[in-house]
Amino acid sequence: MATQPSFNAKTRWKNFHESYEQTIVGEWDVFMPQQASGLTVADLKETSAQFQKLIAEARKQGLKARAVGSSWSLSRAPTTTGWTFNTNRLRGRLKVPAADVDPLYPGSADQKAGLYLFQCGNTVADVNKVLESDSQKRALFTSGAANGQTIVGATSCGTHGSALEFGALHDHIVAIHLIASGNSHFWIERKSRPVMSAAWVKGLGATLKRDDDDLFNAAVVSFGSFGVINAVVLETAPRYLLETHPATAKLDEALWKVIGALDFSAHPLFKTAGKPYFFQAVINPPTDEVLIMANYRKEGPASHQANYDLISDPKSIGPGFDALSTVGVILDRFKGVIPAFSKIAAQQLFDTKPKTGVPGEIYGFKPPLLHVASGSIAVALPDARRTLEALIALYKEIGPVPLVFGCRYTRKTPALLGFNKFDMGLMISLDGVDSENTRKFFDAAADRLEAKGIDYTQHWGKVNAYTPARLQKAYGGNVAKWLAARKQVLPDAADRAVFDNAYIADRGLAG
Amino acid sequence: MRQLRAAATCGLLLTSAGCMQYLVQPPQPSLAGTPQTVQANSYLGSEVQQPPYVLAQRCRNGEQLARVLVRRNFGQGLISWLTLGMVAPATIEYSCANAGEPPLGGGGGS
Repeated sequence: MATQPSFNAKTRWKNFHESYEQTIVGEWDVFMPQQASGLTVADLKETSAQFQKLIAEARKQGLKARAVGSSWSLSRAPTTTGWTFNTNRLRGRLKVPAADVDPLYPGSADQKAGLYLFQCGNTVADVNKVLESDSQKRALFTSGAANGQTIVGATSCGTHGSALEFGALHDHIVAIHLIASGNSHFWIERKSRPVMSAAWVKGLGATLKRDDDDLFNAAVVSFGSFGVINAVVLETAPRYLLETHPATAKLDEALWKVIGALDFSAHPLFKTAGKPYFFQAVINPPTDEVLIMANYRKEGPASHQANYDLISDPKSIGPGFDALSTVGVILDRFKGVIPAFSKIAAQQLFDTKPKTGVPGEIYGFKPPLLHVASGSIAVALPDARRTLEALIALYKEIGPVPLVFGCRYTRKTPALLGFNKFDMGLMISLDGVDSENTRKFFDAAADRLEAKGIDYTQHWGKVNAYTPARLQKAYGGNVAKWLAARKQVLPDAADRAVFDNAYIADRGLAG
Repeated sequence: MRQLRAAATCGLLLTSAGCMQYLVQPPQPSLAGTPQTVQANSYLGSEVQQPPYVLAQRCRNGEQLARVLVRRNFGQGLISWLTLGMVAPATIEYSCANAGEPPLGGGGGS
């Protein structure tokens, strides 16, 4: 028997990075059933019933509601004016037994052996620790730069990942357990990729939805708008190691070939090692110096004791938890120091020490920082160079901005509103400190790309300037498909209203 | 160079105005719920506190603490400075920690 949800009459909610606050009616803490031998279907049913009761009560009281995990998002995607449901205690996990897999599952034997169900409150760090243990010897194919987000929070906001030959983080997901309303919950899969047996889904008491691929492809990136995602099933890779090769290089023609076209053949840094598994270039616009991180995939050893600890040097002194809020104010007044600051910030924001480890160690715990500013723009690889040149020119027009451009590359996702829209995309992460110039730059960046005729998308979980018109331009008919999918699981307008918020309303996705 | 000196002076002034904060957290934080905020006062050079201690009541079912942050903003620092430390208000923020690692279900081992 699980502890019943507990109400907290807290009315001020802020995101993890404290970049904004939201007034709410209160929050509900939801607890995991006691598990002596691991998560069971009965546990999932019990949590589903609790969520259904809360959602029904929210509707009855005319309140909005949203599930929130780590509150990691820098955009207002997770906000609500009503109740928040804290999910980060729901950390059940299970390895999917072969007997519960649908006979029509099209995956390989290795993929079938590597299916895991994670409840929504597991963080990316939790997922890594479970998968990368010596007992499981599995790993995620790709990861975001941070590990504190819950797996459902990160994937619902379209976190893009970072491997050159893989799509987004949410492309690991092959099944979704969605609690949509007080009287409905769904098990959603793609028609083209059935995963769990019908008998297993029946045992859960959920309605199986796999009549097409669109519903799954809509729900997987829906930022909490379809209801509460209770659990997801992930496909995983055999465990592997990453060997990091950090370097600094000048932004010359040879490096432009790498950054602008992923042509590694001409640059001396890659002559011997070749194309990496993961590549990142961090451009500090006022200088021609670029921080390079190339990670090479190595086969995992039979045994590996990962050390996930956030390592700190006890003798060190440095900026603290909240330093950036003060720094932003100072940089607004003393713009001359911004280029030097950005260089230091790039080294703080991006790990520049060489190491070898499983992905969970490489993309591991970092010192927390508040008041960061971060937005991301994705463009097709053929547009990479002219996009970066346009953004560097904008940077110089606005004046020094405490931002650096982190360039990462990933494959296309099938998610209808996925950030990874392009066959091969450049994800430009604009990372830095919240300041007057930073806000000016974010406001102007989308306009500049449009003026240049560059097709782009923006990260749902970061600062973005999406409007209904921009969404339509970026995703075309997928927007209507996404809205239709939402109505499929929430046919009653009053149920949809529970999960509406200003973020989706401003983008024409509510109602 | 002049701007650097001015920035350093500005930074020093801000840090010496009585604001402070310090964060304590474990090497692998696993947060349960959201941070809880408590307003606290320390009187007579820390001889008396109100509340006398902060009980982390939102931590349930064996949860311990994942993170404690003690903050003093400019206004709180000013009060402390003006009263020569006789009244020293601060804001305490604590987060509960998930209690241990749940076992892996499905017969997958731990």
